[in-house]
Amino acid sequence: MGAGYLALQIFNGLVSGAYFALLSLGLAIIFGMMRIVNFAHGAMYMLGAFGAYLAAKYLGLPFWWALVLAPVAVGLLGALFERTLIRRLMPLDPLYNLLLTFGLALVIEDFMKLFFGTQGTPYAMPAGLSGVIDLGITVYPIYRLAVIAISTLVCLAVWFAIEKTPLGAKIRAATENPQLTEAFGIDVSRLTTFVFAFGVGLAGLAGVLAAPTTNVTPVMGSDIIITTFAVVVIGGMGSIKGSIFTGFIVGIIAALGAVLYPPIANTLIFLLMAAVLIVRPTGLFGAPEGQR
Amino acid sequence: MIARAAALDRRIALALALGALALGLLLPHVLYVGLATDIVIWALFAAAFDLLLGYTGLLSFGHAMFFGGASYVAGLLILRAHWSFFPAVAAAVLAATAIAALVGAIAIRRQGIYFAMITLAFGQMLYFLANQFGDWTGGQDGLQNVQRPTLIAGIRLDNDTLLYYIALAAAVLGVASVLRVVNSPFGRVLSAIRENEPRATSLGYRTSAYKLVAFVLSGALAGLAGALFVIAHRFTSLDTLDWHTSGEVVIMTVLGGIGTVFGPLFGAPFYLIINDRLSTLTTSPGLVLGIIFIIVVSVFRRGMIGELVYALRRRRHVEHVAPGA
Amino acid sequence: MKRAVVAIGAFVLCTSMTAAMPAPAGAENPVIIAVVNDQSKVYADLSGQGTVAAVHMAVEDYGGAVLGRSIKVLSVDHQNDPALGANKAHELYEQDHVDAIFDVPTSSVALAVAGVAGADHKILFVTTGGTDALNMGQCNKYTFHYGYDTYALAQNTGKLITEQGGKRWYMITANYAFGQSMLANFSNAVKSAGGEVIHNDMVPFPNTDFSSYLINAQAMNPQVIGLMNAGDDTVNAMKQINEFGIKKRMEVGIGLLFESDIAALGPDYWSGSTITVGSYWNLDDKTRAWAARYKKRTGKMPTWVMMGNYSAVTQYLDAVARAKTDDADAVVKQLEGYKFEDVFARHAYIRAQDHLLIHDMYVAKIKPASQVKEPYDFLQIVKTVPGEDSYRPLSAVTCHL
Repeated sequence: MGAGYLALQIFNGLVSGAYFALLSLGLAIIFGMMRIVNFAHGAMYMLGAFGAYLAAKYLGLPFWWALVLAPVAVGLLGALFERTLIRRLMPLDPLYNLLLTFGLALVIEDFMKLFFGTQGTPYAMPAGLSGVIDLGITVYPIYRLAVIAISTLVCLAVWFAIEKTPLGAKIRAATENPQLTEAFGIDVSRLTTFVFAFGVGLAGLAGVLAAPTTNVTPVMGSDIIITTFAVVVIGGMGSIKGSIFTGFIVGIIAALGAVLYPPIANTLIFLLMAAVLIVRPTGLFGAPEGQR
Repeated sequence: MIARAAALDRRIALALALGALALGLLLPHVLYVGLATDIVIWALFAAAFDLLLGYTGLLSFGHAMFFGGASYVAGLLILRAHWSFFPAVAAAVLAATAIAALVGAIAIRRQGIYFAMITLAFGQMLYFLANQFGDWTGGQDGLQNVQRPTLIAGIRLDNDTLLYYIALAAAVLGVASVLRVVNSPFGRVLSAIRENEPRATSLGYRTSAYKLVAFVLSGALAGLAGALFVIAHRFTSLDTLDWHTSGEVVIMTVLGGIGTVFGPLFGAPFYLIINDRLSTLTTSPGLVLGIIFIIVVSVFRRGMIGELVYALRRRRHVEHVAPGA
Repeated sequence: MKRAVVAIGAFVLCTSMTAAMPAPAGAENPVIIAVVNDQSKVYADLSGQGTVAAVHMAVEDYGGAVLGRSIKVLSVDHQNDPALGANKAHELYEQDHVDAIFDVPTSSVALAVAGVAGADHKILFVTTGGTDALNMGQCNKYTFHYGYDTYALAQNTGKLITEQGGKRWYMITANYAFGQSMLANFSNAVKSAGGEVIHNDMVPFPNTDFSSYLINAQAMNPQVIGLMNAGDDTVNAMKQINEFGIKKRMEVGIGLLFESDIAALGPDYWSGSTITVGSYWNLDDKTRAWAARYKKRTGKMPTWVMMGNYSAVTQYLDAVARAKTDDADAVVKQLEGYKFEDVFARHAYIRAQDHLLIHDMYVAKIKPASQVKEPYDFLQIVKTVPGEDSYRPLSAVTCHL
């Protein structure tokens, strides 16, 4: 296999990285504001994919519409969960919300099975993106290039919004010191709901992006969440930048593993995690324990 | 901090212990013996898990690695080397201890949510490794046809009822050792760390060493449960290593009551019996169990036994304040 | 106190629910059969409740009684969990006095339940589970493998594609026993037909992203991409093969595929591919009439493994009638070597040496959506292969019953 192919494989790793980045970014935002880990993140990813499917089947909406509407719908559902269930446990140890969202994931998955079975539901490639492009050494699907582009754009936009906009400043302030922020007349409670909704919305977006290339089934989110957790541990929970960067890096490493020695592909991410933890217990971009 | 019922009143503890034991002796007469054996095994597993969660506040989402890991070790020794009961179980428990020491040394450096996610990821790593080394583990087919080992010379454990009582005895020993640990000076240091780690550190305790020992003890007892599992079922499979297994033991412990030792002994049968019956009644077991779990986490956080103990204590408190009122 | 009462009450309720469950075997002493399969996980649509309906149909068609005793059907969801499956099987045999268990998809559960059947000396028909360990290394006197195995799939699909010019195969194999045995059987079949396997990727199972392997495959320019996997993995691989535009440039040899997998993506994703099936609802008038009745009953079209279970139950009941008893050993004796023909199994017999059902297999091409006239009308049968040519010859059987 020539160098050109290896380069192509590395590039292809960016595609899985694009999904990891969106998912772990959503987790990082929620964690940053609320100090909880959303175990139902994979279920939200699955709901995003089903959102795209339902939008196409019942509303006749094309992929581009789904790309906007499905994450919003998933976000609204997230807001509902935040208001009715998660909020009640906020004053307690964050582990309770980990448990709660774990239960939520079970319920959402089985609920969807009741309606859609388990074999999968067809979702076609969006018309404008269905072809392949000749990269010289071989052909490559246009859709995968679009996934990288969309994910990168969204990640950068989110990073920019949090670092440079007034809304982002409010979120950062509420993260640092909720009481003080409240005193300045900012409604932290509504901000929290918004942040949770936004975080799971990103998972929904990843789900919409996955729908044209993966089998859309109620169980599609249940394993990806574990890998995403490993990504988050490698990156270190706090950092927005870290979650995006680690997402892409892990995608590339997994792709290389798959090419060089396929049987190790699944295990590689976890071996990487163990190695990082031994060298840097807080993860690559994580703040030291005391500050968290 | 994960809340738990404060140290049990001696009388309540005795009543619960007798209740659990009575349940244990009664089970094979009211339930199918295979299910009864599973209940005893999982109750031990959950009690071991509670030693960690309830008494150090560390939520492990990877306890399947000890349970499943030990089941494979015991299974392989019995299948390939024809080891008898005690050596095979001892070796499996040792293996679980070793895994726990290795993983614990890395994971214990973080706590709370980090600890949960790290243990989850390590558990999944072991799952993938077992999947990978299919020549040894049987991969997706599982390790099948593991004949029951001999107990002592001449006595094979072929009788299911005999095996049930052996498992029960092992579980009683396991739970007793959990109680012993919890009520020892070591256990009190654990509780102190749990309540206020910086304070325990300033008192001169090497807190991470204490937590590591608790983690390893918990892993070893989970391993004992895993070894019993493969012997009882005559096979083991990747499901024992899957993260859903870790999730199941979390659910059982929370349902029964975190930090009560006895809670999981009731949480395990509750979960397993419902799951067993659901397999013939509905095709959505996760929906039912998930909703029950969400309700417990949201409203009855102390779990079945925790709520009972809490209610008893409060009533006694009221009586004490206003006698005859 | 109220909270404690609720908590304890729930426990008592659930325990008493259990105590009330086991129904005593009544005075009339029915013949009891049970379906043990996946009704809530990945194979639920392939078999699941659909098979339960087909089994009820078989019992009704048989007249609802055998040896003058009524026939009772139980059903259990094994959730793809071998521990649950084996536990329930043991309970069914020993406590509920079940005479025979049917279906059991997923290799690990099928093998675990086969172990129980062997130990309890009760009859088991594995239909949806395809691992050939059931009729090779881990065969036993009470277990029958009824439907297909990896050898038969390879012998038909692999051979035909190679003979038609697909000589150079690039294999993508799920790295577990089922995938490995499919790879071994396909490699042999391809070689014996004059082809070669130029490369094999051992892919972890389960897996959702096949893009790395597809890029590799394109570089090596094979004539056929062989998918040595099943279920969700095959569906994901095919979705991505379409995405890469590979299906237009080379043939895709699919090891194992069912109607429910085709429906998951829609026929256009699969069209032109060659597969092997054990039967098909649109085979002839007999199967069409059966499928029409099934559809009337359930509102859905059957997969071919549901027909297989219908047949297995029918043949079991017939063997009980011939044996004049439901005693397992006597029924096994009646089943071994018995030649028969029904809606599912044609020119069929149960080989005494390994308890494998030998019957006609069908090689089919998948039609594009434009040619699909009605639901599940996915296949164009191109060749009927006699059982003798499909299954492992007697000389290669390693099973000692």
